Amino acid sequence: MVRYLIKKFLETLLTLFIVTTAVFFFVRMIPGDPARMIAGEQATLEDVENVRESLGLNKPVPQQYAIYISGLLKGDLGTSLRTKRPVAAELSQRYPNTIKLATLSIAWSATLGILIGVWSARHRTKWQDYLGMTIAVSGISLPNFWIGFMLISLFAVKLHLLPSTGTAGFKSYILPALTLGTNIMAILARFTRSSMIEQLKEDYIRTARSKGLSETPVTWKHAFRNSMISVVTVIGMQFGFLIGGSVVTEQVFAFNGIGSLLVTSVSFRDYPAIQSLILIFSLHFIVINLIVDILYAVLNPEIQLS
Amino acid sequence: MSTKNEKVKSSRFQEFLKKFRKQKSAIAALIVLLILVFIAIFCYQIAPYGINEFDYSSVLQKPSAAHWFGTDEFGRDLFSRILCGTRISLTVGLAAVTVGAISGTVLGLIAGYYGGIAESLIMRMCDVLFAFPGIILAIAIIAILGSGMTNVVIAVAVFSMPTFCRLVRSTVLATKESVYVQAERSLGASDARILFRHILPAALPNIIVQYTMSIGNSIMTASSLSFLGMGAQAPTPEWGLILSTGRTYMVNAVHMMLFPGLAIFITVLCFNLLGDGLRDALDPKLSE
Repeated sequence: MVRYLIKKFLETLLTLFIVTTAVFFFVRMIPGDPARMIAGEQATLEDVENVRESLGLNKPVPQQYAIYISGLLKGDLGTSLRTKRPVAAELSQRYPNTIKLATLSIAWSATLGILIGVWSARHRTKWQDYLGMTIAVSGISLPNFWIGFMLISLFAVKLHLLPSTGTAGFKSYILPALTLGTNIMAILARFTRSSMIEQLKEDYIRTARSKGLSETPVTWKHAFRNSMISVVTVIGMQFGFLIGGSVVTEQVFAFNGIGSLLVTSVSFRDYPAIQSLILIFSLHFIVINLIVDILYAVLNPEIQLS
Repeated sequence: MSTKNEKVKSSRFQEFLKKFRKQKSAIAALIVLLILVFIAIFCYQIAPYGINEFDYSSVLQKPSAAHWFGTDEFGRDLFSRILCGTRISLTVGLAAVTVGAISGTVLGLIAGYYGGIAESLIMRMCDVLFAFPGIILAIAIIAILGSGMTNVVIAVAVFSMPTFCRLVRSTVLATKESVYVQAERSLGASDARILFRHILPAALPNIIVQYTMSIGNSIMTASSLSFLGMGAQAPTPEWGLILSTGRTYMVNAVHMMLFPGLAIFITVLCFNLLGDGLRDALDPKLSE
């Protein structure tokens, strides 16, 4: 177990290192002269030189890399070309909003997804199953931005019940969270169903039933508890994807988070900001995956043996 | 020998057809997809109006007999534009996933079959690509290459490649040591023969299912990128772009967002249903 965890931890460190390096080469991969690209076509030579200097592109690459890494370790994410302020300052303002949104989304979508999955598995090939799986397959096929706009036009424009934009108060989180969670809810419903069906085929379920146990405790106490191990893993992984998905949702709701910041930065060619944001998004994902791996190891007794 | 092989193959295919025929929703999805392909090919002939036919006397009109899906801010017929958008979305989805599937499969075969440094390198690369959640990798690629549909295809291809790579590698690892592959090898078969006659066919069912599902996913990602302003540019009748333009007129012209969204939904849904059906028909574990 300890060995497994150490191995996972080292693997994560390696991936972290590779990702940080890949992101470092990000700006340097722009075809042609990055400084010229960033400064724009109408820029004067002086502007181009300024950009080059502000990005440190005039120094030799190994030195640039050393500056970049030592900056990262100190929490320096560079200066935004758009706002002329440190990227870290803007990030720290918006970051909590995105995390709140993601947490709310995963909370409702995991609860509902698991319920639908268990319900479908329990009533396999009956109407409940078909209904549940129709909801699920529709849920994975709906474009996020479309759900968002349909919710806005219904709840904000027509009914005036909920705000369509902003981050002020719980009410303004409801529509974005519904939008962001729909796909995940559907994925979890499908996954829970198939994992429950597998568990319900097992011998211990047959034993439990033959003891005369009724379906409800068989479903929840036996099958559900065992399928939770893999369901929890998937929830964790989806949480990582959810943070990525926030890019589109935040844009729909003009939500003040790091996803909409990424879109703005791309349209302004604000490379230092894009670079740091991409790094933040993937760091999240990597750390969440590590936590998932650890959780899986703790929950799953089989891993301890191997 | 070869006729026997053919027989085994054809009976396996017949078994698949028998199982697939029972997947009613997958068959319905396949029919809808064939209709969509037909629309994509003949959209300019079918469309009642030109996609860039401006008509300032009928701007932002609600759906009517003359304009089934209404008109947009320039009075262009939305139904015609959405019909022609089918070609764009299907082309982007197919092109991106085909490139991703082929490169992923080749890399997966190499990694799984040869192992060693090649495997470590390829799988590390996949890990890195997987370390960017969802659409972020595509956005990063577009930030480097610039916006536009060709770059969207490249971005989505890179984004779908590692899934195929991992999938193929794990099948290779599972079949490499099987008795029939070892028998072939002891008979002196070349690597290429083993890879393409034995290992690849074993991986094919998984690849086909993943391919189908990925197309739906890619169409969704591509239209999301256009929605974010990183893909198709005006006046292209791309679904995500039409929807994005529509948000300015949300209060009095919801149809500008409703119909392109429905088009994406139906297309992606059909690919997912078809993928589900194929998986159930191809999965040996599910045979009852």
